[in-house]
Amino acid sequence: MLHLLKTVSVAALLAGIAATASFAEENTAWRLFISDHGEPVVRALDAGSGRELGKFATKVPTSLARSDSGKTIFAVQGKGDIVQAISSGISIGDHGDHGDLKIEDAKLLDVEFAGKKPSHFVDHGGDIALFFDGEGVARTTSETDVLDGKADFRETKTDAPHHGLAVAFDGHVLLTEPNKEKPDELPVGIRVVDASGAQVGDVHSCPGLHGEAASGNILAIACAKGLLIVKSGDKEPSIEFLPYSETLPEGKTTTLVGGRGLQYFLGNYGPSAVVLIDSTSKEAFRRIELPTRRVHFAVDPVRPKFAYVFTEDGMIHQLDVVSGAITKSLPLTDPYSMDGHWSDPRPRIAVADDAIYVTDPLKSTLHVIDAKSFEKTKDISVEGKPFNIVAVGGSGETH
Amino acid sequence: MLKTIRLAALMSVITLTPFGLASAFAEPLKVVASFSVIEDFAKNVGGDRIEVTTIVGPDGDAHVYEPKPADAVAMSKADVVLVNGLHFEGFLQRLVEASATKATIVELTKGVEPIKMKEEFEEAEEGEAADGHAHHHGDTDPHAFQSIANAKIYVKNIAEAFCAADAAGCGAYKANADAYTQKLTETEGEVKAAIASIPESKRTIITSHDAFGYFEHEYGLTFLAPEGISTEAEPSAADVAALIRQVREDKASAVFVENITNTRLIEQIASETGLKVGGTLYSDALSFKGGPASTYIDMMRNNITTIKGAILGS
Ligand SMILES: [Zn+2]
Repeated sequence: MLHLLKTVSVAALLAGIAATASFAEENTAWRLFISDHGEPVVRALDAGSGRELGKFATKVPTSLARSDSGKTIFAVQGKGDIVQAISSGISIGDHGDHGDLKIEDAKLLDVEFAGKKPSHFVDHGGDIALFFDGEGVARTTSETDVLDGKADFRETKTDAPHHGLAVAFDGHVLLTEPNKEKPDELPVGIRVVDASGAQVGDVHSCPGLHGEAASGNILAIACAKGLLIVKSGDKEPSIEFLPYSETLPEGKTTTLVGGRGLQYFLGNYGPSAVVLIDSTSKEAFRRIELPTRRVHFAVDPVRPKFAYVFTEDGMIHQLDVVSGAITKSLPLTDPYSMDGHWSDPRPRIAVADDAIYVTDPLKSTLHVIDAKSFEKTKDISVEGKPFNIVAVGGSGETH
Repeated sequence: MLKTIRLAALMSVITLTPFGLASAFAEPLKVVASFSVIEDFAKNVGGDRIEVTTIVGPDGDAHVYEPKPADAVAMSKADVVLVNGLHFEGFLQRLVEASATKATIVELTKGVEPIKMKEEFEEAEEGEAADGHAHHHGDTDPHAFQSIANAKIYVKNIAEAFCAADAAGCGAYKANADAYTQKLTETEGEVKAAIASIPESKRTIITSHDAFGYFEHEYGLTFLAPEGISTEAEPSAADVAALIRQVREDKASAVFVENITNTRLIEQIASETGLKVGGTLYSDALSFKGGPASTYIDMMRNNITTIKGAILGS
């Protein structure tokens, strides 16, 4: 319930307590975790120096997701029927007026979750939900257990295998409702079940469901005609439908990310536009046209004003989420056409500290952009086809 | 909109009050208030010379509020930003940065004598510390506005800020502030009289979070709460158990929910102790218009009436 936008709150708190007497030293640490498009490996890099800190073998080439706390990286292996977990080695404990930064070696945890075709990973306040498309089953666990090496989980089933997702939310589980006639197509809604596994209320209709994100205490799920907006309720999650505004052209959102530090959502709107969403505002949707089709986008957890979009012409764009406009653009790579399979090797973005990192899988390179000047500062070569990338870190006191 | 006002003003110039006259010709001062109590103060001081946008609205919880891009837009256009300070608005820093506002950020608690967070549960705190890490929560209580004496300081600071931003309106702001301060003094008298009518042995009550430290300090009721000075952290089981013990030992005579926080915890304490929930106290936000506490003065009156009713009725 009390979901703060943590990364920033710790930084902001730190800024405010400079006067507090302390014998502890303040430090900053950021790490990058990068998977390969063709090889079953995850590399851990020190973000500042680009130095490789470790290399972890997965079963098959993997996609990556980080937990909200940044303590855990999940290697979701759709083709390997497994999810593995890596301890990032960085933890920031928030103690009200200061954050404690603890740095250890990153390590592959002795915890794995097996199941057919794992797809979406969702962390909600430390409650992890993994959805396995091949079974239509959600397995939920807690980050604390995972870090303790416990692979305990609770299983919640849907009616059929389908490409879906689940969220562990306030003691309930939100699950996609498969399309009964055509389970191969996108799900048609969200079902809520309580701790005993019993369904709560009716299915919340959401045909064409794909994409989910949280920003602070709000969760958004994208549908063909709008979004489901989920908040904490008195007894059970409250879910409302927010239709796309009539001023928007034909289109829909299929990928969402949530703002950090500012509460908003960024989604695609069709292939070559993005939309900024504030469900609490009268003008809930602001659509921003892109020069070409989008490849990937990410929000800046350190500078809440900005998000970044990579487009198929090889450009990265700085999006000012306050003014709702692209403020800077930078040519970065050769073109990466969106023709072809959705999972072909293409760049991905992550933000760590004062830099934006973009993988360039076909050039075995990681591009580094200064977040303030929005200029490229260096390239780091990374073996193979660096693909998925996540960043964890922050500042805090080390005792 | 502005044109209409100007025209109306010209046509009825003879009937205008001296203070209204100036406002009819000037662009309104763009003011951002961080939360509803400050909005009410600002409107009382600024009248129609200002236009207020409020970030955390009625029944909102400023401790855990998550700022929206639209808030940053409002802040970027503001002439004056009025905030409580003392870390009440956890979102402030982020919003100032995201908005790149050039407005003066005025901390209205400037000149208030800050008080420290109470430590009513020292055993529990020590218990927590035993896990190897002492918790030092930001210990200054930010809820200074819960004392009417402090509210007068807020009002004075607002008048000064408006004078600095709009010298032409200074006379009006000062006159408005004086008139409103007079009303605050009257309200304070009512609060003190109401408390005097409560037997001293009955003056301990329970709320959700420590929002009433300044009220307690100024007027002499004792408030206990399972949550600290911020609603951000979940209360510990030990804190809740300690509260239940207080009630059982007949040390607390009434329990209240707050308009800004979840009522579950207080309902649990009530049901475990057999105390009836005595009503809703308005802690960190006013009510919506039409509610019982849509202005600061109504909030203070409503709170003391609710408290007195629950204690004397029990
Ligand atoms: Zn409070």
